[in-house]
Amino acid sequence: MMTFQLSNTVIFILAWRNLWRNHRRTLIMLSAITVGVWAMIFMTALMRGMVDDMLLNGIRNLPGEVQIHHLQFLDDPGINNSITAPDAKLLKALQSPEVKAWTTRVRVPAVISSERDSRGITLLGVEPGREVQLGFDISSIIEGRFLTGNNDSGLVIGAKLAERLETRLGKRVVVMSQDPDNNIADRGFRVVGIYKAKMDSLEELNIYAGLTTVQKLLKLEDKVSEIAITGKDYRHVENWFSTIKLVAGQTVQTLPWYEIDKYLGSMLAMMDGFVLVWIIVIFLALSFGLVNTLVMAVFERTREIGLMQALGMRPNMILYQILVESFFLLSIGLLIGNALAIGTILPLQDGIDISVVAKGMEMMGSSSILYPALKLNDVLLANIIVITLGLLTSFLPAWHAASFDPVEALGKD
Amino acid sequence: MMKSYKLKVQLLFLIVCFIAFPLHSSPPQARELIQQAMDHWRGLSSYSEMTMTIHRPDWQRSMSMRSWTQGDKTSLVRVTLPKKDAGNGTLTKGNNMWTFAPKVNRIIKIPSSMMSQNWMGSDFSNKDISKSTDILDEYDHRLVETREERGHSVYVIESIPHEDAAIVWGKEILFIRDDYILLEQQFWDQDGVLVKTMKTSEIKQLGGRTVASTIRMFRQETPDEWTEISVQNIQFDQSNPDFLFTLSNLRNPRR
Repeated sequence: MMTFQLSNTVIFILAWRNLWRNHRRTLIMLSAITVGVWAMIFMTALMRGMVDDMLLNGIRNLPGEVQIHHLQFLDDPGINNSITAPDAKLLKALQSPEVKAWTTRVRVPAVISSERDSRGITLLGVEPGREVQLGFDISSIIEGRFLTGNNDSGLVIGAKLAERLETRLGKRVVVMSQDPDNNIADRGFRVVGIYKAKMDSLEELNIYAGLTTVQKLLKLEDKVSEIAITGKDYRHVENWFSTIKLVAGQTVQTLPWYEIDKYLGSMLAMMDGFVLVWIIVIFLALSFGLVNTLVMAVFERTREIGLMQALGMRPNMILYQILVESFFLLSIGLLIGNALAIGTILPLQDGIDISVVAKGMEMMGSSSILYPALKLNDVLLANIIVITLGLLTSFLPAWHAASFDPVEALGKD
Repeated sequence: MMKSYKLKVQLLFLIVCFIAFPLHSSPPQARELIQQAMDHWRGLSSYSEMTMTIHRPDWQRSMSMRSWTQGDKTSLVRVTLPKKDAGNGTLTKGNNMWTFAPKVNRIIKIPSSMMSQNWMGSDFSNKDISKSTDILDEYDHRLVETREERGHSVYVIESIPHEDAAIVWGKEILFIRDDYILLEQQFWDQDGVLVKTMKTSEIKQLGGRTVASTIRMFRQETPDEWTEISVQNIQFDQSNPDFLFTLSNLRNPRR
């Protein structure tokens, strides 16, 4: 026991001193590991931030983490695929404490025209009060007001749309769509509010009018296109989703957000895989440098290793010593790398303005300010991979050194 | 007895005067004027042959067509020339509109999304074609001015759409001559800028009436892009058979 501890200490001291014998080479390797680890953690945080943003945006676009539709609505979001407003049973289920808010909407494709232009849009007949509870951000109204009631005869449109139509607050526009009998349903609306969305494409797409007004226009009576329900946390919808689905019955389609927008839903799983691949790719690049450094170190010390063996050091101790040396190298690299990554991410918590490439980001469904998201799991993953795989790759030169024949090794210059 | 009879007659005369007075000396009501102009142009029913010329700075093309109307809301237009467009037809009934193109041999109901698009590539929109008489009910009309021009009175009427009317214009100004010829129709936006104008450039004796025979539609911003419809022949108040305004007749013309 005594001897083991002693030899342990000796090995550690030897490894540590060996590490700094060629300090320039060690420093270069250290900086490579540091940059690698920094890139792993920092880039992962950026990616995570981007995906989180896409998810939140996506859910906010829907909005409603669970939605009830006509069975065919998602394939053909037309006026004919409407459902009845929630009945007493469903209303009761919606009282559940898990449900934060719910609303009904009419959602139909329509055409909006001004004197100068006309564009295809999605007309949303909403219950303003409930819509705000559900997550419509009232502060996104940059001019005018949001709708005040289901009977409001005004219209709220996006800033970008207003610009395209060359219209503004207080002017009249015409909205045209079709009623269930395929007759043209149209009427004039006065623009009472203009909203700004995180993405231009949304501003051009959605226009809001009072639910009752739209139902009257489209001769829908009290039918709606969707019932949208939101809970407390979008990551944990399953808890209450099944209850709602059971109550809503088989005649309608009740889906959580990750089923409605499968692209969004698969995003989380895809991201986990992506992070792992990213870390491994960086590590592979690193590992060549690491192996090279250690191989060089071993070659330089061939005589020395032969001497140590001749003096009675067992081969596995030599292996051990080289692995410890590599461990030191990796640990120091990781330590600085982690510190550097966290040090760069923390000051960026308020977001990175990437509006230069906003158009491209928008196509991905992300907004023009990036909020890096530092996740403990990702940091741990990066560290564990670097240490484990790092030691595994160092095993090769270490084993090579341990298998020297002392007589031959001593004979080398 | 005699005296009271006389008094009664005087009273009656006075009442008649009171009723008659506004009828005769005040200018005609704006809405009636527009109604009259519409009726004058369409009759109860009409059949006409016309040419539509679409002009652009670098090209121009003409189409000949025949058109039937019945009442306010029903019409059928069929292209006869040039050959490659011949047979293209448009049927409107109420607010609905169908087109037929022999090349694809299909009837297409114009969806609401296409109502504000061009009609056959002209400067008229589908909406202009199908809803031309909406101006009567969807607007408030006001006579703003009466002018004298070449021996005729011209009434200037300002029409402002109702709040929830499906009309984008801020106002329209109509110039109607005292023989009910619509001389000009101006479309103004909500900021008081003139956007487009439909103007009568020729008045002729056709089908026993004096009618606007050439009408030009153009946007104010692009005066060298215009569409002109000139009527060669028109007959009023002839009875149209029932089959005329049907989808099957649109597809397989019997007339």
